Amino acid sequence: MRDQQEVHDECARLLIEAQLPEGGWPFISNGRQMAIEPTALALLALPSNLNYEREAAIRALVRTQSANGSWPAFCGDDSHGSGYTGLAAYALSRCREQEMAASRALRWLLQFQGRESHWLWRLKFRTTDRHVRFNPGKFGWPWMPETMSWVFPTAYSLVALRSVHGNWQKRLRESRIRSGIEMLQDRICPGGGWNAGNSVVYESSLAPHPDATAVALLALAGEPSSACVTASLDWLERRGESLSTPWSMAWTILALRKFNRPIQSLADRLCTFALDTEIRDCATAAVVCLALERDNSPNAFMEQS
Amino acid sequence: MRVVKALTTGARQFAAEATIVALLEKPRYGMVRKHPRSRVAILRAESYSQKLFEILRCGLDLFHLDLLGKTVLLKPNLVDYIPGNHINTHPLLVSAAIECFRGLGVASVIVGEGPGHQRDTDLVLLESGMAEALHHQKVRFVDLNRDELIECPLLADYTGLKRLWLPRTILEADFIVSMPKVKTHHWSGVSLSMKNMFGVVPGAKYGWPKNILHCTGIERSILDICATVPVHFVIADGIIAMEGNGPLNGAPRALGQIILADDPVAADATCARLMGFDPEKIAHIRAGAQFLGNSSVAEIGQIGEALQAPKAAFALVKSFAYLRVPQTS
Repeated sequence: MRDQQEVHDECARLLIEAQLPEGGWPFISNGRQMAIEPTALALLALPSNLNYEREAAIRALVRTQSANGSWPAFCGDDSHGSGYTGLAAYALSRCREQEMAASRALRWLLQFQGRESHWLWRLKFRTTDRHVRFNPGKFGWPWMPETMSWVFPTAYSLVALRSVHGNWQKRLRESRIRSGIEMLQDRICPGGGWNAGNSVVYESSLAPHPDATAVALLALAGEPSSACVTASLDWLERRGESLSTPWSMAWTILALRKFNRPIQSLADRLCTFALDTEIRDCATAAVVCLALERDNSPNAFMEQS
Repeated sequence: MRVVKALTTGARQFAAEATIVALLEKPRYGMVRKHPRSRVAILRAESYSQKLFEILRCGLDLFHLDLLGKTVLLKPNLVDYIPGNHINTHPLLVSAAIECFRGLGVASVIVGEGPGHQRDTDLVLLESGMAEALHHQKVRFVDLNRDELIECPLLADYTGLKRLWLPRTILEADFIVSMPKVKTHHWSGVSLSMKNMFGVVPGAKYGWPKNILHCTGIERSILDICATVPVHFVIADGIIAMEGNGPLNGAPRALGQIILADDPVAADATCARLMGFDPEKIAHIRAGAQFLGNSSVAEIGQIGEALQAPKAAFALVKSFAYLRVPQTS
């Protein structure tokens, strides 16, 4: 079995090698198109001693930020904003001297909301379109404008907004955080866990996914203990035992670690199959790095409250 | 009670008819890919076994495909994995297709898919058994959700989106084979070769699920995507199909057939008939028959097994019950 540090360093090395000349990362390691999610995750994951790579990543994120404060999904995409903005804002907010860019993004996040937040759509989902069981009054963040709220962008946005302290936009911020938390609680699958955001369709329960469950739990960390969080952690622990893909396993470890659940056997297994699967995806490599951080150097999601 | 039921059914049928009328009202396409006549082969295959290669090879021979030196992209339907549910195109059928196309002297075969619900594509590949099949075949798999993207003008304008970002791998392929699972779908009635093309729309840009396609109308999105990304051939997995609350939670339905076609509209119209549905009532098939292919029996050259309606139509969620061909006694 390979050592955790060895796998961590190997993923960090993949990130260094795959970094584009302009400082960002593509999804696939030999790609050329910078995407925001792998770039933000890599910035969160890169060890603090890699100053050159981190500075280049920060510059790339600042350069790709749209005039309205949001981020697109990838370099070249339109500038209307995407569900990765919360993640990018969170990554930048942890870097020195980037308060301005992060606060522009957070301001945009406060205005960006799922389509069901509009009364007309709420009316539609309460009257004529009731096949998906959800409460349209509880909305979060969508992947892109003019669409519904979903789990990943809502969780990313919550992580970003909950990392802000002090009085900045306090009332609006707290209202959006509350609404986002309630949206996640509303979309939980029967029995615990989350998928993309549809828990029951046509009276049939849909299965939860480990990555969506983990990211939702990270967004809810710090909330008073609840039955839905406990059920989701229990489900994630059980699911973790049968997982064998790096992306899902790494997110699972991050969430379980955050809630002080045992992770050592999962981390050992991640190390075993990380080599076999030959990680080529930069977002995955970054999440594996974060998951395998040593206990004495808590990762970005451990520090977030 | 009966009056209420009749009124509800009538209202649903009226709404469906209105959608079809709206789609047909004004041509919204900038190209016509329809040939005077299409060919569809129905092949009998009772189970998933190693015999599939032979069955498929014989079926493909009927089409005399000239693919020498071409890059072939197989687009199976991989949505999610739920133990016991027949959601995805079976790995043995994909494996057989890889071997068959290699036998036709193609330059390369690639398998590509961008699951619409599950972000961890590797997990779906692994748990569905597809990863093992692809590894065995030494074939390249491209996660279309995370591929490099190119912005493309849409060749039809049913959604009003005008442009979509599409994966480079899809745009560079010479020959695209849609390999759907034959199943019912709670939002679109059926999920066949045309609906299967939702998987080419990248999640990295449009999210999971690809909600923009639902917001602009599923039927409309199907038409815009299929106009822009040509489906050159169809291999539909109807060996064990799905009925009821598809695409994830439906019940298995042993149909025992593989459907091959050189036209996605003809393939879907034939599959619909095999499911006991009237393709004229399926909005995207009826509108697609204006410019993407042929749906009427008269325009489809049937080869292989004869087309026979099932004894009982596939089960559907209530809102699509009107698709069923009325039983004649």
